[in-house]
Amino acid sequence: MIAHARQRSVMVAALAGAAIACKKAPPPPPPAVPPAAVPLSVSSVTLGKAVGADRSIAQPLSTFGPKDTIYASVATVGSASSGEIAAVWTFQTGQVVHADTQAIAPTGPANTEFHISKPSGWPAGKYKVSISLNGAPAGEQDFEVHR
Amino acid sequence: MKPDNPDFSDVQGGSSSSAPPPATQTYTVKAGDSLSKIAKQLYGDANAWRKIYQANTDKIKNPDLIHPGQVLTIPPA
Repeated sequence: MIAHARQRSVMVAALAGAAIACKKAPPPPPPAVPPAAVPLSVSSVTLGKAVGADRSIAQPLSTFGPKDTIYASVATVGSASSGEIAAVWTFQTGQVVHADTQAIAPTGPANTEFHISKPSGWPAGKYKVSISLNGAPAGEQDFEVHR
Repeated sequence: MKPDNPDFSDVQGGSSSSAPPPATQTYTVKAGDSLSKIAKQLYGDANAWRKIYQANTDKIKNPDLIHPGQVLTIPPA
């Protein structure tokens, strides 16, 4: 009786082992597909009085004093071997205050800052910074200078 | 001077980016630009205008005549 039980358990173990041995190995995972390149675009435009090392603005502002240096931080996503971001700063009358361009070749999210200052002091009023990417409008921000 | 048309001639500005610059930059001509003015702005040397001209002979026929909106190739300094 005991011998029969032992024989049976040995057979069961052998069959289980054979079943495991016959099991196919799981197919290897498919090769990782590289992510599609994201085209370069502007995600936000933020104004402030200072930028960090990553050219972002920690304290966004929309009102400035006459002696402030005004920064615009342009956040972009995507990549490009060459792109041109332009900033045009205008006064409430439409008068161009200053314009700058920055050529970039980002491989991922990036920040580009533009800044203006006026040693004799900004006239009080409403201003605007208009951002374009490769010549196409990409965002704008209004701000004011108060005495 | 009209009070609503103030003088912005002393405005100073600049830019920088966390992204690397392209191997070769481009520059979009603005009203009032000249090749020597662009060379002064980008290279710090107005006499380097020839370098810009030579990189853009397909777009510029007369170095004294460039047009707003033209996108110029700017070779590395």
